[in-house]
Amino acid sequence: MTDTAQPIWIDPTDCLYPENAAREAPTNPHLSHQTTWNETRAFKPRMHPVGRLRYYYKWPGHGGRLWWRKRYWPTRRRFLQIRGEYNPKTMRREKTIVDKRPIWWILGFIALVLGPAVVPAASWNTVMSAAAVFGIYAAINLCWMLIIGTAGIFSLASYAVVGAAAYGTTYLAIQLGLPWWMLPLVGAAIGLAFGLIIGLPAMRLDGFYYALLTLGVVELCRVYVVQSREFGSATGGLYGAPSYLPASLGQMPRLLFGYYASLALMLFALAVYRFIDGRRLGRVLRMAPEKREAFAQACGVDFIRARIMVFLISSTALGFIGGFYAIHFGGASPNLFSFDTVLLSLAMLVIGGIGRSEGAVAGTAIVVFIDRVLIDLGPLRYMLIGAIMLAVVLFLREGLFGIKRQFRTWRDKKKSERRATRAEKGGEMLPEEATETADKDQIFFRRFDKMQRDFLKRLVTDTVIEEHRTRPLGQHSEALERLLIYFRRQGQVDKYAIMVLEEFKAYRIVALSGHRGTAPRVVEDSLYPTPDEAYHALFLRRVQDLLET
Amino acid sequence: MNWSFVLSNAITLACIYGTLAIGISLTWSSLGLVNMAFGFIFALSGYGAWLASINIGAQPAIVMAAGILTGAFGGLIVCLLAFIPIHDKPNFPLRALIATLAISLIGNQALLWYFGPRAKSLPRLFGSWNADIFGVIVTSDKLGASASAIVLLTLILLWMRSSRRGLEIRAMMMNPHAASIVGIGVRRTGFYVMALTGSLAGLASVLLAQTYYVAPFSGITPMVKGLSIALVGGLGSVPGAVIGAVLIGLNEALTSTLLGGQYVLITQFLLIIVVLLVRPRGIAGLLDKAREA
Repeated sequence: MTDTAQPIWIDPTDCLYPENAAREAPTNPHLSHQTTWNETRAFKPRMHPVGRLRYYYKWPGHGGRLWWRKRYWPTRRRFLQIRGEYNPKTMRREKTIVDKRPIWWILGFIALVLGPAVVPAASWNTVMSAAAVFGIYAAINLCWMLIIGTAGIFSLASYAVVGAAAYGTTYLAIQLGLPWWMLPLVGAAIGLAFGLIIGLPAMRLDGFYYALLTLGVVELCRVYVVQSREFGSATGGLYGAPSYLPASLGQMPRLLFGYYASLALMLFALAVYRFIDGRRLGRVLRMAPEKREAFAQACGVDFIRARIMVFLISSTALGFIGGFYAIHFGGASPNLFSFDTVLLSLAMLVIGGIGRSEGAVAGTAIVVFIDRVLIDLGPLRYMLIGAIMLAVVLFLREGLFGIKRQFRTWRDKKKSERRATRAEKGGEMLPEEATETADKDQIFFRRFDKMQRDFLKRLVTDTVIEEHRTRPLGQHSEALERLLIYFRRQGQVDKYAIMVLEEFKAYRIVALSGHRGTAPRVVEDSLYPTPDEAYHALFLRRVQDLLET
Repeated sequence: MNWSFVLSNAITLACIYGTLAIGISLTWSSLGLVNMAFGFIFALSGYGAWLASINIGAQPAIVMAAGILTGAFGGLIVCLLAFIPIHDKPNFPLRALIATLAISLIGNQALLWYFGPRAKSLPRLFGSWNADIFGVIVTSDKLGASASAIVLLTLILLWMRSSRRGLEIRAMMMNPHAASIVGIGVRRTGFYVMALTGSLAGLASVLLAQTYYVAPFSGITPMVKGLSIALVGGLGSVPGAVIGAVLIGLNEALTSTLLGGQYVLITQFLLIIVVLLVRPRGIAGLLDKAREA
């Protein structure tokens, strides 16, 4: 209450006689009994302004369509993963979209399809050819992501497969005069053959041995292509493959057509990704992550077979893409085999995050934009890409699309650290003890009792003790009264009492045993000549005990 | 066909590539880091040696020391960027591999940006004389390169065997966890190892620049060769790297004499595949004692 002036005590019994003025007396200042409660219950942790709760929009659920599920062929999946539940407070049916990624994918596709309409005319050529490159590279990276992420084979030779298919199909098209639609199919066959050759060592080698080996394959292909006369060492690439574009088209429609064709190729690669990663092969391989292969094998999972299957299927798809590359660019260039291409495409995968298709697509978009659209930067743009890659690797665990999860993990860690610093000891039950206790009321009683003792400790002052010394019985100030009520309310076990040895001459403090038939025990030797002195000594003892807890 | 010429050439190249391979092998076995920035360190130390030869003096000792010191400096940069921050984080081997690739990308482009695409040539360190060894005419640069590579490698291996630091590095190679328990600092050892392997790359760069040129991307082919030798020999084994270097050098010499120069990489690659299919951890690598990240 008031700390400055001495508060006035008003006799509460005077309200029975309202015609008289109430009796008043000065009393001791004391704290409000709400203070400790308020301080303990105050919400002290420092909260950040964002991301405190996971927010999900709750759709109303219609009773009639409760079990209506639209599924698409050939899986039994639904378009959106929706969780239905009853709100425990309103008892209404609610629906929650658990996985919003399909929505983002569809919005992204719409943006990609409508994108050419908003490209400025000044940079139309640059942006549209870069966008076509984006489609092709995204397709390659998706297949590569299958090999690295799903199959867990760290192969660096994916672009070598594409390049081999592109060179092979161009060579065959020049020699045999194949039509354009044959080239991707022939390329798929070449990719399968190439995949078989470089997939064989993957059965025995693991991890980095295989990565370094495939790097050697890439270098081998590059040197062979650069030196070989029939593969165009003189012209800097092999050109002359038929184009799928109608010859009558002008410049702008050609670019637009090429862009939509490569977008369709990306959709094809996404379909391949989804049908391998999301179905049986992907499930089997998710059962056998790195360093747990032995366990998976013991469970009967033939993960080596699954890995090789994924590798071969993606190599076939990569060969198909290689054939498309040939008919899109009219040939193949040794650039496909250069160390820089491997580096840049690895940057695409890493920036987006390894093991997720959206990571491959978004990373490709970022890197291709920097590489092909910001041409004015010169070598600086590669340094920019390298810096992004380095930053992503050093700070992020799973690339850009893993930021959300990493942030949540970090926030949970911080939360639990703060909670650990906030936990107060003393009187309260520890969590293990609380789960063991049958009477759950005890938990709350002890928590309340601790708070009460904390409050009462703050009431003990010299004035209160002096007041008790002068007048142990009778009317007391509020602080002293609260202390005495608390002391009197304690249980019988080891409760202090006064034993009369000789009336008005000798009193002694004892502690009750709390059990019938067991005599109280003597706590101290000193004898007190008057009851008041004995009362006060007993009070001091209790205050002492209170302050010690 | 001049057999002795080809043979001496192959032995020189084997010495130089063997130096690189030992560097790569040491880094992998003691730190668990596949250093893909080795090509960048190689090119960087070539440029360091070139700058020293222009600005300080063209004496062989100065040029070689400048190359080796720049290489050690490059190794320290890679250690600071790719090893120290993430060596105790999850998924370290893959992240370190990608980080070193990123460093290589940035570094090579920075070299291209700063020095331009034109190749530089170092002064001839070993003069221009010929020696006649058992009837084989050997030029001075080949003899000097082989001799200095062998001498420096022997010195380093002796240091690894007999010094306190070498003991720490070997302890890290055996079991990094146990090494850190008995008080060997992982980060400190990382600095030693990366400086050492960087200086090996610098040495190889100076020696190889006697025959080739110093260019921004000159390091990639030697790095791939060094990697393949380290693979064949078994990552983490110095004798294995020596055997691998001799094997690859012999293969190169034989292929270019019998079949022709353009088939060298093909036969080399087939040789590596055959060796790895027979022994998945290389010639001298032990199957079960592989470093577990």
